[in-house]
Amino acid sequence: MAGGEVKLVALVKQFGDVMAVDGIDLEMPGAEFFSMLGPSGCGKTTTLRMIAGFEQPTSGQILLDGEDMAFTPPHKRNVNTVFQSYALFPHLSVRDNVAFGLRRAKTPKNEIKQRVAEALELVQLTGLERRKPAQMSGGQQQRVALARALVLKPAVLLLDEPLGALDAKLRKALQIELKALQQQVGITFIYVTHDQEEALTMSDRIAVMSDGRVEQVGPPSEVYEEPSTTFVADFLGVSNLMSATAHGDSDGRCRVTVGDFELYAARGETHTTGDTRIVIRPERVHLEPHESSGENRVPGIVERVVYLGNSNQIIIILANGDRIQALVQNTGEELTYRQGDPVRAYLPAEALRVLTDTGTAAIDEGALPAVGSAA
Amino acid sequence: MSDAATQAAARPKAGGFSIWQRLRGWISNPWGRPRFLVLVTWSYVIWSIAPVLIAIQFSFNDSRSLSVWHGFSTRWYWGDPIDSVWHSADLRGALAQSMKLAVVDVLIAVPLGVLLALGLARWRGRGAGPSNFLMLFPLVTPEIVMGVSLLLLFTQLLTFVHTGTFAQILGHVTFSISYVVVIVRGRLFSIGTNLEEAAADLGASPSQALRLVLLPLLAPAVVASAAIVFAISIDDFVISYFLSNGANTTTVPMIIYASTRATPLPSTNGIATVILLITLLSVVAGVLVYRFFTRGESGRGSTIDDVAGFGI
Repeated sequence: MAGGEVKLVALVKQFGDVMAVDGIDLEMPGAEFFSMLGPSGCGKTTTLRMIAGFEQPTSGQILLDGEDMAFTPPHKRNVNTVFQSYALFPHLSVRDNVAFGLRRAKTPKNEIKQRVAEALELVQLTGLERRKPAQMSGGQQQRVALARALVLKPAVLLLDEPLGALDAKLRKALQIELKALQQQVGITFIYVTHDQEEALTMSDRIAVMSDGRVEQVGPPSEVYEEPSTTFVADFLGVSNLMSATAHGDSDGRCRVTVGDFELYAARGETHTTGDTRIVIRPERVHLEPHESSGENRVPGIVERVVYLGNSNQIIIILANGDRIQALVQNTGEELTYRQGDPVRAYLPAEALRVLTDTGTAAIDEGALPAVGSAA
Repeated sequence: MSDAATQAAARPKAGGFSIWQRLRGWISNPWGRPRFLVLVTWSYVIWSIAPVLIAIQFSFNDSRSLSVWHGFSTRWYWGDPIDSVWHSADLRGALAQSMKLAVVDVLIAVPLGVLLALGLARWRGRGAGPSNFLMLFPLVTPEIVMGVSLLLLFTQLLTFVHTGTFAQILGHVTFSISYVVVIVRGRLFSIGTNLEEAAADLGASPSQALRLVLLPLLAPAVVASAAIVFAISIDDFVISYFLSNGANTTTVPMIIYASTRATPLPSTNGIATVILLITLLSVVAGVLVYRFFTRGESGRGSTIDDVAGFGI
């Protein structure tokens, strides 16, 4: 069961005047958990549907283990899909749903019986063979959909926001199960989601997409820690973005000015000069008493303190007018900062990143409750 | 509780109450049952059913009278050797012709309508919108207009179609197809394209997806539309009349119309009762089969419930 390598070459999909997918090149090596992450309408679902064969590309190639299958109909592709709505056949029992694909492949009866049992065991549904989909919970239906696809031993499994319709707690549990399952069966999973946390938790690599294009591809830690564009920085987690003027490299650090303040940034495009943006994660911002001094410290006033349970979100208006967030872990000690207090925000150079693109920031979906909508 | 509320509402008027005031308090009491609406509903039900019940009653009359009750008898069904439904050649012939038209209509219009609905629901691109709209046309065209047009068509243009049973069947199929299309298309939309895609994804060819997934799910809509087509075909007068050709193409509604104008006999009511019974049975059978196919389903198919009026 080697293989399962998917390669997209200059893939384009146009619906009328709308460019849904605008030239995508991606390589997904076999047995990898690969996520396509992006907001609604970024083209991730369309890309998945082209890999599955439900949409024909306007141009470009879809290579599965080196073979172009852009114009192979879906029922002849060695890929299977877990749909967002599960798409279980309501008139068939769990057993018949799972056996559907095997029967189409004219598998011998004994083997069907055995493989269905194995698949149901894999997703822990043994004993529910006779149930109809309507008699099962959302989480159970989701498992049936998984078993139905995995029983065919595809080279690649496509998952279209499969956890979108489940409640938060079940979703968390299934995230871990899905990842474990992928490692167990050892095939390529291509996972589409708009939920950055989901993508970070499960993926070997993530492609962040926006407007039909791939913004950045890399392991979770890389796209989170080293975002290469403003969009990626903003879409993954919460970022503090500030406009700045860069003055070039000095000792591996970039000297930037934000308003009247001079800062040093040690990450990103440190050689650049001119208009740039600098970005820092809220958890890397330190708050210090107003009297403290030193490099990379900017005075400000606490605008609001939001209690988040495991941490406190503190919103600060800096002296230059920028508004930034700091995340302070809830350690049990009482917070020393209150609304209106003057503070000094320490933005460590090694956490401050210079971005050269001045593209638009993403809508911060991380701050909104997750909405199960297809792209 | 509602009685207490009624009293409470009526109390302020208790001092100098008139019947009028009590009636107003009784009807307009917002906490009570919607008595006025109940009254209207029941009035309507009685108004619409009473004539039918009276007609049925007189089909069992033991005399030729349709206005004076002479006691119960089944002579107009089979007792009378000349004029009973069973023995009169005219009545039996009409019943046979009606049944023939209805059954053939169902057998032709339902499969054709299902195919049309599949085509229209999956058709993307130019012409899809207008075609979908045009399918509704036969539903809103006055039947008499359609009857006249079909008659002209068959006598002037397509002269190889002579008036008679064949023309009647063509006419019935023409207007029945729309009902099938509307009902089946509603169900198709509620099923969506996801299940077909899932079938294809699991290795089913388009024809296998249709046979193994789509058609079983369409079964309730197919049954519902068959029951409805049967009922409206048996009930049809105008088109059958225009396209008829002499006594052997007379249908039940036509013979009822003719005999009521000439010499109404209780046997006319008898045959009307028979046709009513057949229609009721077909609809009840439709509902039962529909229920059987949709058991365990929730939410899905509510469109069809509305369209077919099967949401009982």
